[in-house]
Amino acid sequence: MSGIRQIFGKELARIFRDKKMIFSVFLLPVIIMIAILSIINVLASNMENNIESHISNVYMMNEPESFRQILENSGVKCNITAIDTDAQMEDAKAEILSGDADLIVEFPENLEQAVAGYQEGDQIPQIKTYQNPSEEYSTQAADNLTQVLETYRQTLLSQRVGDMESLVVFQVNADNDEMYIQDEEKASGRAIGMMLPYFITILLFAGAMGIGTDMIAGEKERGTMASLLVSPIKRSSIVLGKVFSLMVISGLSSLIYVAAMVVCAPMMMDSFGGAGDLNIQLSIRQILMLAFLLVAISFLYSSIIALFSVFAKSVKEASTYVMPAYMLILVIGLVTMFNFGETDSSSYMIPLYNTALTLQGILTQETTLAQYAVTLVETLVIGGVLTGVIVKAFESEKVMSA
Amino acid sequence: MIEIRQLTKVFKLSKKQMAEAKTKNPRKTAVDHLDLTAKEGEIYGLLGPNGAGKTTTLRCISTLIRPTGGEIYVNGHEVRKEPEEVRNCIGFLTSDIKLDDQFDVDYMFRFFGRLHRVPEQEIERRRKELFTYFGIQEFAGKKIKELSTGMKQKAAIAVSLVHDPDIIIFDEPTNGLDIITARCVTDYLKKLRDEGKLVIVSTHIMSEAEKLCDRIGIIIDGSKVAEGTLEELLTQTNASDLEDAFFEFYKDRKGEA
Repeated sequence: MSGIRQIFGKELARIFRDKKMIFSVFLLPVIIMIAILSIINVLASNMENNIESHISNVYMMNEPESFRQILENSGVKCNITAIDTDAQMEDAKAEILSGDADLIVEFPENLEQAVAGYQEGDQIPQIKTYQNPSEEYSTQAADNLTQVLETYRQTLLSQRVGDMESLVVFQVNADNDEMYIQDEEKASGRAIGMMLPYFITILLFAGAMGIGTDMIAGEKERGTMASLLVSPIKRSSIVLGKVFSLMVISGLSSLIYVAAMVVCAPMMMDSFGGAGDLNIQLSIRQILMLAFLLVAISFLYSSIIALFSVFAKSVKEASTYVMPAYMLILVIGLVTMFNFGETDSSSYMIPLYNTALTLQGILTQETTLAQYAVTLVETLVIGGVLTGVIVKAFESEKVMSA
Repeated sequence: MIEIRQLTKVFKLSKKQMAEAKTKNPRKTAVDHLDLTAKEGEIYGLLGPNGAGKTTTLRCISTLIRPTGGEIYVNGHEVRKEPEEVRNCIGFLTSDIKLDDQFDVDYMFRFFGRLHRVPEQEIERRRKELFTYFGIQEFAGKKIKELSTGMKQKAAIAVSLVHDPDIIIFDEPTNGLDIITARCVTDYLKKLRDEGKLVIVSTHIMSEAEKLCDRIGIIIDGSKVAEGTLEELLTQTNASDLEDAFFEFYKDRKGEA
């Protein structure tokens, strides 16, 4: 035990005695994340402001006087150019294509008369708009004008039909505030449950990757591992000390990332216009289940990284070996992110995948105790077996002297 | 005491290593049925050219690698059966083993002291003694990566001796050191010998072996070809110094050509 404690202490000291390491392991990723989110946020709102402040260039053909009134009252700002001939229409279309103009609205000739003198069986007048969906300004102009046209339609319709209410046969959920019947906790759990396993698994693995490869392959490469190997402690103590410290470091770094994400979540929601309410309410049972599972997952990940590192001759080689495992974790995270419907109990037997499933299941309260137990025990057993293999590798002079 | 009986170490070569060594034999015998006994209160020198098997022998004694055949007893403990006990009574230093350069000398000294289960007070006493002797005090707070080669070697020596081992095994201890530091190291090894400890060193420097070693074992191609005090080796070969004596043994082993 003393050997494990000493190695554990030294590995933590390597990080915590060095300000640069603390910065690069724990703070830099958070700073980068916040910086990226802030930049996205600023760029997104700049884009939005830019589009909103843009005055659309709109060509109108056969524009009725009554429409101009409604357009002015709507508050939509645009530079309107009237066109009359087909040649002007072609020129305007060319400008739409090049992005110089944003929209063309083509009214039929004498729209007002056609609407006013409508008899049953007459052809219904049609207004045509031309826009360029590749241009943000054009899309925005089309959206604005469509709204104004809708108002115009309602106005003309009210002139034809005295009582607008007579056109409404029935309404759906007009004043039904209780239309959604759901468990609020489960609903917020689903939103979190969709993202959390993905982020937690990736962050735990990513947090351990750089440090883990350096801790074993790096020590071999630098020749410092041999100094531990000639100490009077068991090889298993060295391995366990390193794996446990890796667990702590990856656990701590992912905790910091998650905390930063929670802080940044409103910022993210703002940027993408989502109104997601991330109100997390976890019961003590859920918290305990999550805590034990996260410890087991970080044990498994640390042992996977340590296993690849022990067979590598250098940090570079170890990073190359670990990368496919990281990809696998990413894919598993993505699979659970888009996993809907009932999950087969046998899925809980699949290593790694079951951890992501169970993390999700705890939050949505869909995982049974038996499924949780299978996942927890299986994760710990695999972590234990891998650690055993690492100890064996430490005893092999061929592996350690490489 | 160290007792080596019929030690053999065979390495399996990879295809790349075979190509580098220009051989088609996938097995390389680094040490071949070596017998050796070294006792307390003496400095035993393993003398031989590069690749003779000196370092391999020392690495087998220190349990870093496992013998292919034969037995090694260190203070009565067999290296394969009781490796932790063996490591507890030796202090091993070789240029392949380095101190973690992220840490300062002080931290490394205390860390290895605790790994050897030395009580804190004793660590402090040893620290004072060794740091004063080797002049480490002035750079004890510096990180290993900031030290010069000589400083690193001094720090490594002090760390390897933190637990006051009965047996000291140094592989080419003065390699890369300036003349003053080298003298400081050899003087300390003599001091340890005088305190009744067993010191085993490997070297290919004849003058060092002449001045330092009480007994010398000459190793060529993994086999011990001669053993004895300097006088005994000179008498056996009718040579005037160790270098001439060494070449006599070398010629005997390899033939005139």
